[in-house]
Amino acid sequence: MSVLTMPAQPGHDTDAVLRPLPWRRMAWVTWRLHRGTLISVLAVLGAAAVFLVIAGLKIHHNYATLIACKPFSSAACQNLNSDFNNTDWTAGNTVAILMNLTPALLGAFVGAPLLARELETGSYRYAWTQGFGRVRPAVARLVLVAATITVLAWAFSQVFDWFFQPFLPQEEMTVLTATVFDTHGIAFAAWTLAGVSIGAFAGMLVRRIIPAMAITLGVYLVLALAAWDLRKYYPVAVVSSSQNINIGPSNRNSSWILGGWFTGPGGKPLSQATADKLVALTYGRYHKAFPHGYTEWTRYIPVSKFWPMQLIEAGWLLLLSAALIAATVWLVRRRAA
Amino acid sequence: MTVTMPVQPGQDTAGQPEPVPWRGMLWITWRQHRAALISVAVLLGAAAIFLTVEGLKIHQDYAAVLACRGGYAACQQVNNRFYGTDWDLAMAALVAMQAIPVLLAMFTGPAVLAGELETGTFRYAWTQGIGRMRWTVAKLALLAVVLTAATGVISQLYDWFYEPLLLAKNFPWYTATVFDTHGIVFAAWTLTAFCVGAFLGMLFRRILPAMAATFGVYGGLGLLTLLELRKDYPVALVSSNARLLANSRPTPTSPWILSTWDSAGTQWWRYIPASRFWPMQLFEAGWLLILSVLLIAGTVRLVRRHAA
Repeated sequence: MSVLTMPAQPGHDTDAVLRPLPWRRMAWVTWRLHRGTLISVLAVLGAAAVFLVIAGLKIHHNYATLIACKPFSSAACQNLNSDFNNTDWTAGNTVAILMNLTPALLGAFVGAPLLARELETGSYRYAWTQGFGRVRPAVARLVLVAATITVLAWAFSQVFDWFFQPFLPQEEMTVLTATVFDTHGIAFAAWTLAGVSIGAFAGMLVRRIIPAMAITLGVYLVLALAAWDLRKYYPVAVVSSSQNINIGPSNRNSSWILGGWFTGPGGKPLSQATADKLVALTYGRYHKAFPHGYTEWTRYIPVSKFWPMQLIEAGWLLLLSAALIAATVWLVRRRAA
Repeated sequence: MTVTMPVQPGQDTAGQPEPVPWRGMLWITWRQHRAALISVAVLLGAAAIFLTVEGLKIHQDYAAVLACRGGYAACQQVNNRFYGTDWDLAMAALVAMQAIPVLLAMFTGPAVLAGELETGTFRYAWTQGIGRMRWTVAKLALLAVVLTAATGVISQLYDWFYEPLLLAKNFPWYTATVFDTHGIVFAAWTLTAFCVGAFLGMLFRRILPAMAATFGVYGGLGLLTLLELRKDYPVALVSSNARLLANSRPTPTSPWILSTWDSAGTQWWRYIPASRFWPMQLFEAGWLLILSVLLIAGTVRLVRRHAA
């Protein structure tokens, strides 16, 4: 019996059957390949979280002192108010701006090099010829790294939510304000996932890390700005003829007004000229006494719809990320190696 | 006749190769970094076109706002166009302007040196006839000059673009976002950011960590300057002139009040008048230039010490 040819052993090396992917081994491979990235992200977010906790305690304390100050219109309390606005709000605003940028940066620094590094350095010739092929390890790496970064981002955004608490009433923002909505609840984690997916896809498409990073930043920016507009069309808006929407000065519970129009007797829409006359008639009054039969309608989103909107946004971002990861894996399959 | 020929002076004086001309580095820098240079040119060109087109529109709209007489209803559309649409656009441009120096530096700075180190091509690049020191200095200087000049032009364009909104909203000259983008400071910050990127690239010897660190260092330095350093520039005056300083409302030419205290019944102010705008610009550009030169010197020293 020759050593070289042996009869095929069923269950051992039948060539058409794929061996099941050992996820524990894939997790180890992913860790070894990407431990630099994962540790760096953990370190940076961790340091930032520590800073937010320390600064946040001070800001919460200052704010508590501010709202306990009575009477509010006295000089001492006004000084406290402007001090809070000048020093604490400067810090808070800077952090808020950086928070809005973070998903884009994470997408560029984590997502783009994920697979592009293999292509740029040529190590794909080794990585893709391992026993499990190229598709399933690529799926494993993408999903594991994206999931880890998303969880870290979610935890970090909870710390930021707490940090930003005093500024919502103080700066008259609501949770539906675009820059606030992006960083509260689960939106931050969803946007980070989308950023990483965009980065991975761009990296696989362009096959070079630095151009992929630039593309990721650009695409993310366009998508984020489009989403600010898109939110007006989420199916949560309310139409009402009530006069009590947002009466009084704007505060953290003010609704987001999307539009308004007038109707005349019998529910007919008015011409622009008539509408202008109505506006001129009642301008400046809180409770407007319209002539009989005329109603003002407002389309708005109340603050109570925050969580439905968060779920809608997280939903379509999750679908987008899944589509991008699928596209990335498809590119891995097709790429000649 | 033997093959050995007598030494010809000026041609092959023993052991002394003629230095490779600096001019060669111009072509080398272009060849190696043409992708980055073209991308920067395209992006800044698009930004310039945007600023010009929208700037003309904003100037027209502002002129319409000033010329409009007739109260609320008649001027409503004109006001909405200027204070609504134009203002949102200008805010977007403002945010983009703040991001330009750091983004340019992140994508060009580390790639110059760290790119060579990470891929190992430094073994080839640094053994060329021109030698590694001149190679490094020429490359960094060329890229720095190109970036500084380009952003200088963009900042002048942006100044003109933003002027009507400055006047309409009464932003004081010392507002960080205004001071940062007017005059020569914008180009100086881009230069410094690029030098920070190149230095950190040489320090970390890997592109991605250098990019992240450039972002962090630039952010930290920028925040430090706008929060603390500008107040300490040696241009401040001290006065007790209450007519000028008490209850001054912010306008583009109002003095920047740094601190106030009471002494023996009179109130004193430490402030910077608007006339000190250019001295402050020159002072800031000056220390940024010194910092950039130090960073380039540090980068060159690291290149010299690097084992090849």
